Amino acid sequence: MRRFYTATLVLIALAVGSVSISAQTSDYQVKKNFEDRYAELKSSITEAMTVKEIDSLRSEIKDFAYYNEDHEQLLDNALYPETYESTIEELKQRARAAEHKLLIIENQNEKLTQLSNELSTYKSEIANLNERTDSLRNAILASEESESDLSQLVERYRKSMEERDEFVLNMIDSLFITYKDLQGKALAEFTEENGPRALQEEDNPLHVIESVIEENIQILKADNGALQTEDYLRMYVVQNRFSEVWNQIGDDLTRIYAGNKASQWENNIEDKLGDWKASASKNMWASMDSYLEKNNVDLGAFDSNESFYKSIEQFVSKATDASREKVITDENYADFQSFYDFWNGKIKKDWGKFVQEGEVLTMNQISTIDTEIMTWRDEAKPKSFLIPILFGLSLLTIVGLIIVLARK
Amino acid sequence: MRPQKLIPIILLASIVMLGTACKTFVVENVNYAHQIESVLTPDDDGTVTDVRHGITFNVAPFHKKEFGENDSTHQIKEVRLIRNAEGFYFITANQFKNVYVMEPGNGSLKLKKKIKVSEERISEPAFNMRDGVVQLVKIETNEIVSLNENGIKKNDKKEEEQS
Repeated sequence: MRRFYTATLVLIALAVGSVSISAQTSDYQVKKNFEDRYAELKSSITEAMTVKEIDSLRSEIKDFAYYNEDHEQLLDNALYPETYESTIEELKQRARAAEHKLLIIENQNEKLTQLSNELSTYKSEIANLNERTDSLRNAILASEESESDLSQLVERYRKSMEERDEFVLNMIDSLFITYKDLQGKALAEFTEENGPRALQEEDNPLHVIESVIEENIQILKADNGALQTEDYLRMYVVQNRFSEVWNQIGDDLTRIYAGNKASQWENNIEDKLGDWKASASKNMWASMDSYLEKNNVDLGAFDSNESFYKSIEQFVSKATDASREKVITDENYADFQSFYDFWNGKIKKDWGKFVQEGEVLTMNQISTIDTEIMTWRDEAKPKSFLIPILFGLSLLTIVGLIIVLARK
Repeated sequence: MRPQKLIPIILLASIVMLGTACKTFVVENVNYAHQIESVLTPDDDGTVTDVRHGITFNVAPFHKKEFGENDSTHQIKEVRLIRNAEGFYFITANQFKNVYVMEPGNGSLKLKKKIKVSEERISEPAFNMRDGVVQLVKIETNEIVSLNENGIKKNDKKEEEQS
């Protein structure tokens, strides 16, 4: 009985097999099925959002190629001027390109998440430092302590400000490093496929940037005179660097994080950066002027890099001319020495880093002033009269001797 | 003989030679075969265009021929067309009982043969080209009919019917 069943099953299987073997298909249908599946795979590749999806599609392309291998000649005719081979290769190429793009995007995504975490850390650190500087500033304002205690407070306040600015610089550098690597095309695709990143307000770099700018403006506007020129120069440099980085990555940041409000955000940040620049610049130049005044160097009015350079150049030039025309005295030389100390000790040494980074003066301008100062030094240096006097005395002695000898 | 009398003879000889030269310029062994059928969808006017093979015609005459002058119940959704090595077009469509063998002429397609391939209307006809022979495949019955411009090929044991 079992044998009978087995034989029956084998017969049925053979019958089914023979039907399927003899099933007729139209060549046109083979072509159409191929084209439909090709279009389906192509569209799936375009729509793929992850590398995993692409990997699975690559294996589907492999199967697709395998199942159509028997119709290669028919498809070569039907797909003319394309061929079976070129069509499969095109799909593989598309899958490779999509995988490459998605790898970049996934990598960027990872980077952006990492950056958001970093920003949160920076933000809380900056908030702590702000709190500390605020309380120190208030303590200075309300201080009734002795001069030495007040001086210590001021010193701590300045140190705290320095740390804070250091953090802001680190943060902006992190932003720059992360976003400068985002290639324009990959970034556009990333934003297109992911949409603007819906981050919590506190994690959104645009909000962090905005709050950092606002806090800096506030600090500069609430200036209590406890800071020194060096501090203002550093703050000027921080602002400069901030603006520089924003100019390079601002577009990308707003595209990723602001969505359809990109231009609104861009204008908002740029306005605030302008305000920050104006305050940082005003405080820095005012502090520089005040320092020079205290050190009896009168450069006249300046409020920009260009006018500062012109003022120095004119000052040195006038002083050189004056030294040339006047009878040289020690007083002239003291003027020179006073300016020379400011130039070499402050501009080139103590503040040198900030002067260069903030482009308060360019290297070329510094070099020109250096040369002019050397000329001034030569003119201002008091000259010794001893040699001419000795020479005169020698001459008189010789003449005297000649007269005496002649009389004899 | 006077030269004037020779002129008509020379002219006649030239015409004969020219005519002979034109007649003899023939390229032999041209293969017109399509390797795969074209499936064409008629537009609102019933015109179909095969861009790849460069042919445009109207399906209305086929509709009339197949379904009669006043038929409005049948609609040709897709026309299937293939050309054999000899240059004849084989044309059919869904719900046809016949394959029309058409001979290209001067701006026209002239019926060479109307081949009855089924007693019933074929719902899913398709043409394949196998070893230079046009085959009509009736997908629904899994049946194949080999055709040439004269009708059904004899080894298919089908009766050939002429219109």
